[in-house]
Amino acid sequence: MHELSMVESLIEELLKLQKEHGWERICAIRLRIGAMRQVIPEIMHFAFDITVQGTALEGAKLVLETVPLKKKCRTCKNMWTDGDEALFLCEKCGSSDVELVEGMELEIESLEVE
Amino acid sequence: MPRKINIKRSVLAADEEFASKIRERLRKEGTLMVNLIGSPGAGKTTLLEATLGEIPFSCAVVEGDVATSRDAERISKTRTPVVQINTQGGCHLEAHLLWKALDEIPTSGLDVLFVENVGNLVCPAEFDLGEDYKVAVCSVPEGPDKPLKYPHLFHEAGAVLLTKVDLIPYIDFDGDLFWGDVKKLNPLASCIEVASLTGKGIDAWTDVLGRWLMEKRR
Ligand SMILES: Nc1nc2c(ncn2[C@@H]2O[C@H](COP(=O)(O)OP(=O)(O)O)[C@@H](O)[C@H]2O)c(=O)[nH]1
Ligand SMILES: [Mg+2]
Ligand SMILES: [Zn+2]
Repeated sequence: MHELSMVESLIEELLKLQKEHGWERICAIRLRIGAMRQVIPEIMHFAFDITVQGTALEGAKLVLETVPLKKKCRTCKNMWTDGDEALFLCEKCGSSDVELVEGMELEIESLEVE
Repeated sequence: MPRKINIKRSVLAADEEFASKIRERLRKEGTLMVNLIGSPGAGKTTLLEATLGEIPFSCAVVEGDVATSRDAERISKTRTPVVQINTQGGCHLEAHLLWKALDEIPTSGLDVLFVENVGNLVCPAEFDLGEDYKVAVCSVPEGPDKPLKYPHLFHEAGAVLLTKVDLIPYIDFDGDLFWGDVKKLNPLASCIEVASLTGKGIDAWTDVLGRWLMEKRR
């Protein structure tokens, strides 16, 4: 249930942004979430919809964009995308010195506001 | 008519500011901070008790639990400064809570600050506390499939500690499977087997802490 933890932080951040900018309403929120975060969209939407009840964000639409895992070999600089959260091994040279360059995102990409 | 605004800002931005403040303060002090993450009952507090008895550095501990100060009471028996944070239902520590707790800990001259996170393999891995290293603590009775089930934590951990290895004769635990999966997720992590109750592996663990401390102060 880490979706609920994320939603709580998200709502806090959004209410802060709304106050800072004096927006009347936030209508839609677009999030980019890296695949390594293992977010289940249905649970995220469910957690969001129940947590915004009674706040200024009630009725806002949540749009989730998943960022696939992108890995880079530090040995041969090979870069590739695959769906395996558990494998950090270079397909080209076999090195295990592999870093995740994309897939850890947890970002508010954009908002639609009034 | 709604208008679109680009934000490009972390969902956790507010808390990440506190994490940066903690990191900056401990960088100045040269204090190593280690964030221990594992399920309830994995043996985190027992590991700390065993570690604090052996370690040649000055240490302090922050205990994170949903409720009670039981763990802090256990730690204070080792005469180590300790602060308890109760999250009142929260399933993980957040940096703003730790920042407040640090008011009660003299970090100047401190070598190692241990944080025992709330027992949970998921959310604590999401929230940066300003630590130098996350450490995954997993015990033999939990079974060898945990790394693959919780890849985020095991991928990010600076060290993976398999605890309660004294129970291996009584439990069907495939150590090759466990460590093989850890290696696939995180080839660079230090891998240590410990039995805190017998002291096995505690020296290897304090060696890793010593190396991290040296690297931080170099
Ligand atoms: N057999 C054995 N039991 C252990 C070991 N370490 C911890 N335990 C037991 O596991 C239980 C939970 O330990 P605790 O340190 O409180 O776990 P925490 O919730 O992760 O802090 C306690 O009953 C400990 O005595 C160990 O190395 N071997
Ligand atoms: Mg404990
Ligand atoms: Zn390579």
